[in-house]
Amino acid sequence: MRFWKSWIVTAKDLSVFRNNKYILYSLIAMPLLMGLLIPVMLIYTLQTQAALLTQAQLIEAATLYVNMFSSFFVIAVVGLPTIIATYSFIGEKLEKSLEPLLATPTTDSELLFGKSLGAFIPCIGATYIGELIFVIVIDGWSIINLGTLLLPTMYWALVTGIIIPLAGVLSVEANIIISSRVNDIRAAQQVGGIIIFPLIILMFLPSVIQIIPMVTLALILSVGLAVTDIGLFYLSKAIFQREEILTKWK
Amino acid sequence: MSMIETENLTRKFGELTAVDNVSLRVGKGEVFGFLGPNGAGKTTTVRMLCCLISKTSGKARVGDFDVDREEDRLKIRKMVGYLAGDVGLYENLSAYKNLDFYGKLYEVPPGKREENTKRLLQLLGIWERKDDAVAGFSKGMKQKLAIARALIHEPQVLFLDEPTANLDPLAAKTVRDFILELKKEKRTIFLNTHNLDEAERVCDRIAVLKTKLIRVGSPEDLERSISSRKTVVHLESIVDSVLAAVKKLGTVKNVSTSENKLILDMDDPEKDNPRLVRAIVAAGGNIQYVTEERSTLEDVYLKLVRET
Repeated sequence: MRFWKSWIVTAKDLSVFRNNKYILYSLIAMPLLMGLLIPVMLIYTLQTQAALLTQAQLIEAATLYVNMFSSFFVIAVVGLPTIIATYSFIGEKLEKSLEPLLATPTTDSELLFGKSLGAFIPCIGATYIGELIFVIVIDGWSIINLGTLLLPTMYWALVTGIIIPLAGVLSVEANIIISSRVNDIRAAQQVGGIIIFPLIILMFLPSVIQIIPMVTLALILSVGLAVTDIGLFYLSKAIFQREEILTKWK
Repeated sequence: MSMIETENLTRKFGELTAVDNVSLRVGKGEVFGFLGPNGAGKTTTVRMLCCLISKTSGKARVGDFDVDREEDRLKIRKMVGYLAGDVGLYENLSAYKNLDFYGKLYEVPPGKREENTKRLLQLLGIWERKDDAVAGFSKGMKQKLAIARALIHEPQVLFLDEPTANLDPLAAKTVRDFILELKKEKRTIFLNTHNLDEAERVCDRIAVLKTKLIRVGSPEDLERSISSRKTVVHLESIVDSVLAAVKKLGTVKNVSTSENKLILDMDDPEKDNPRLVRAIVAAGGNIQYVTEERSTLEDVYLKLVRET
């Protein structure tokens, strides 16, 4: 596979997204909302408890909440591809631009990888920007009020470094598969929303299940996501073939 | 030298045979028209030749490459330009960016890409709008841009699937003139069309397809193939002596009249017309002029398609 060929497709898709206000606003709004709203909620919760707890207890509670709330960013990375990946594939279908694209001297894998990367980069980028804002606000508050930095934690690092990218890949792949069978962007987004719902529930398991440590659960979840990603990769590769696209994609 | 060659090319979709044992050859620099009704298998044939879909059986080659061989498919795609039935442009990208993207995918070096983009957009009259989003273009402009996209890598073989469909007469003419320009550059052009007039004007040879290949030939050959040519003699008036004189000629197979015209069916008009004219004049007929009546490509096409 020639990655430079895939990158041409990725760069084109990024350019298309930059010119699409609906996608652009979604990408800007998400990190701003999550990066600012989540810390505000968290800080408010902690401040209401501050009078009842010792400094050590407050730091322990704050760490637990920070870990829990960092799981919210998985919702972002899983949710954004329902907008971007579906647009990327169904948009090509609606504009009928897949056929000329498939006629170029590129392999199916190069096109699939290029388009997947084109959907993945903005989703992960926006999520990490949101995370960055979250970290700055939380650590800014905690250094002033608690005299310590709450982030990073091991759980947060696992979520940010492993679970978020794996969940993003899963969502992109799932949305490619949905896009191959649906012709309407909104319908695809709704189906995508239903499919990612179980994943969102899974993400909150570490904070709910108290028997197994959060970090251990996050590691188990990471392995599960990696295995699912590999399975979905082969499925999306089987679906994204010239012949299939031209004769069976409806 | 054949640039496109098929032998018993067949494609089935389940029980449906879309293309049935099609064998044809298209020479280098030839403009080859592919005529047929909707669902005749024209687009399926082109898709097989562009390695977009596989064949069920038979053989097909483009240039020196075999559509069956995995390693040849990328080479075929690189040497052909393809204008699909739908323009399929990226509506919120500019005309320039659309072409630049495809130029990169076709591995055209940056300098050449820029040069070709400028040349094609200028030739097709859309250079001034190069930085505008395609969404604001008219149908004709989009079609021109799609043609430019198919040519960005200077392909040796060009597949055009109904390039003038849905265009107004002026835009259609521009596209047809452009095809004729490409013909001068000796590019091999495979033209799928419903437009008989267009086929007649630009194609060196035409194939009529209705799942199976019905007939192949130059427009003139096809027109001759259906019925014998007729000689039409326009007279001041038709008198009995003229009719009798004409019927006496052994070479006239059939005579009919329409107003002041004699319509004659003959085997060899070039040889027999001088005798005919002399006989009419000798019988007192005043000839105004003599013309030839041929069946049109439309007559041929309709007859072939209805009979199959």
